[in-house]
Amino acid sequence: MRESARELVAGARASIEANRRRIDDLNVYPVPDGDTGTNLTLTVRSVAEALERDGPGDRAGLAHEISRAALMGARGNSGVILSQIVRGACDALAETDDLARVFRSASDAAYRAVKKPVEGTMLTAIRAMADAAEHGGDLPTIVARGDDTVVQTREMLPVLAEAGVVDAGAAGLVEIVRGLCAALTDEALAAPPEATEGIGLEAIHQELSRYRYCTVFVVEGDGLDADELEGELAQLGDSLLVVGDREALKVHVHTDDPGKALSLGVARGTVAGIEIANMHAQTQEREERLLHAVSGGDEAACAVVAVAAGNGNRALFESFDAAVVDGGSTMNPSTADILAAIERAAAPEVVVLPNNGNVIMSAEQAAENAVKGVRVVPTRSLQAGLAALVAFDPALSAAENAEAMHEAAGAVATGAVTVASRDVQLNGVSVRSGKWLGLADGEPVVGGDTFAEVAGAVLERLLGEPRGLLTLLTGEDAPELEPLLDEIRARHPELELEVHEGGQPHYPLLLAAE
Amino acid sequence: MTLTAANTAVVLDSTADFPDAPERFPNFRVVPLYVRFGDESFKDYVEIDPPRFYERLQAAVDLPTTSQPTPADFLAVYEELAPRFEHVLSLQISSTLSGTFASAQTAAETLGGAKVRVIDTRTVSASLALLALGVQRRLERGTTDDEIDAFVARYQREHRLLFTVNTLEYLARGGRIGKAAAFAGNLLNVKPILTIRDGEVIPLKRVRGNQKAFAEFASLFESTTTDSPHLKVGIAHAAAPDRMQALWKMVRAVRPHAQVEIQTTLGAVVGTHAGPGTVGFFWFDDTE
Repeated sequence: MRESARELVAGARASIEANRRRIDDLNVYPVPDGDTGTNLTLTVRSVAEALERDGPGDRAGLAHEISRAALMGARGNSGVILSQIVRGACDALAETDDLARVFRSASDAAYRAVKKPVEGTMLTAIRAMADAAEHGGDLPTIVARGDDTVVQTREMLPVLAEAGVVDAGAAGLVEIVRGLCAALTDEALAAPPEATEGIGLEAIHQELSRYRYCTVFVVEGDGLDADELEGELAQLGDSLLVVGDREALKVHVHTDDPGKALSLGVARGTVAGIEIANMHAQTQEREERLLHAVSGGDEAACAVVAVAAGNGNRALFESFDAAVVDGGSTMNPSTADILAAIERAAAPEVVVLPNNGNVIMSAEQAAENAVKGVRVVPTRSLQAGLAALVAFDPALSAAENAEAMHEAAGAVATGAVTVASRDVQLNGVSVRSGKWLGLADGEPVVGGDTFAEVAGAVLERLLGEPRGLLTLLTGEDAPELEPLLDEIRARHPELELEVHEGGQPHYPLLLAAE
Repeated sequence: MTLTAANTAVVLDSTADFPDAPERFPNFRVVPLYVRFGDESFKDYVEIDPPRFYERLQAAVDLPTTSQPTPADFLAVYEELAPRFEHVLSLQISSTLSGTFASAQTAAETLGGAKVRVIDTRTVSASLALLALGVQRRLERGTTDDEIDAFVARYQREHRLLFTVNTLEYLARGGRIGKAAAFAGNLLNVKPILTIRDGEVIPLKRVRGNQKAFAEFASLFESTTTDSPHLKVGIAHAAAPDRMQALWKMVRAVRPHAQVEIQTTLGAVVGTHAGPGTVGFFWFDDTE
């Protein structure tokens, strides 16, 4: 039974992997952070990987395990909705093979998970497939109905109609079902798999770490088992890499407890080439020592878990004692990532700042699954997250903090300057691929040939009402800012101006006015 | 027994940031604390004035330290006053922030008798100066020990004190950060809105930027006061005159009849612990 489940999921995985890039390109906003194809792929992958390990072979046990793996691996809003579809399907599959019941249960679970269901999305696709199943359709018929629905999504959401694309989540969901169908009927996939770029070890290695110590060593011995060591090290940290052969393994791990990591090596052989680096800035350490020494170390009632991308942004959030979950450059953090950070936080209650519209649902799922009391303040940008964090007080409860932080986040006007990764037409703004695109409060407002022109237009929009403080977060590959800063100072002499190197991907400039 | 400005002296310490008090009132004295740069020691306001202090602070490699007056410093002042006044009210900085109160008490005991009463005001800076001015108003019309005690108790309950610093580092180094430590260490230009309660620095809120800090001052000021000449206000700054000016304008706009009794620079001792850029805002509704 486990073997056939494995094959089914492998089919789904092959299908979504093959279509990942195409689905990413369907994203309405042409900025590759947390794209739908990638999020769905990673969510399915997490189920596939769980099944590859040993586990229950009975119906109920498998259903439970698959639900759990989908939930824990869910990334982005699309991944969370998928995880609920999987859960609904598994609830039915635990008892029956009846397709009508399975799809209806999946559809119902998906609708329940979304507070304000929007048609023209994954929800419409799963409901249409459930309808087809209830009309006695077999899997190929159900998939065909899904394909039709995907085409219809273009007409159902104005934003999709304007962009001239179908809904990415719906398209991805149908590819997953198509893959299941192909595996079940033993037929080749309808759409030929394209070459895809892996999100392998390299990407994981480039992620920033929430842990303090970068620990590297080599274990020499006999009959070393890389997978087994990797499994144990995974409990201690992240950015994990174990490579080599049975005689020597090179280990790289980011952890808060390098001693424990080394002990795992010592238990298996001789350890050599030890390097342990403290990744946190020394100045910050000094200050922490200074402050905590005199504060008497009052226990915090509440902690903050924030999702952030970019070295500088991470440091900004960490300087407020927030635990940072890496926002990733092309993928969103999983529910499990956020949940782990919540459980690790040194306080009985936690406020989560998702700082990205596409992470809010994962954060809410993590909150629901946490043992601790958790509030999610649904921030949609790093800038809003920082504004919220300023209002945070560790001595107050999560509920009290959430209220104050929500208000603070709402008081900030946000902007962003990015480069369109493909042609886009939105809100009457038309931008060609490779041109500058300006957003205000998440919506495209201006396109142009030069950074200066687009940044200037976004600024004027943010400063349309009187503001006292402007914060700029520069991203990777940020253009020269001095001319812009000079102009701001000349035109708004009263405005306080703060510039930080945020280091976020995709957005050379993020702006916040308050 | 009636206490008057003629028979009662008032002794402040230099943390009241009220250096011209003895010029304005013949019955006032100020005992200086000390600020030390390396091996050099200066009497607050007497041997180092605020402009020179902040200039030096900017250039200093190691931050200065401060120390309380010795009992002998207080004793010298009490002895000078003893032949000319029947009573001495010695109003000192909160004993939770400095050992000054203890030095004054030791001196009073050394002098003997009941002439000197040392009072732990539980506050500091312009708020200590506002208290002294309230005491002086009562001395000038004639008062009693009991009335002074009741007034001091009411002042401690009702006076308000807000301040904001450029960085909490100075408070932290001096060990006077208290619960505000939780607000420290961030990389944004966050202005903590702080107060002193029971002699401890307490964070009330934090906001970003000076404009919002002042808006916060204004809203707390407005919500806790009514416009009247009884409303007494003090403003103090550490090398930030433009901010003091902005606060003054805010007070004029929000409570046009309030009396701004104190506008001062934080001296070397308070400045050592608060740091340049600090702005303090103090008020109290005296009923007369």
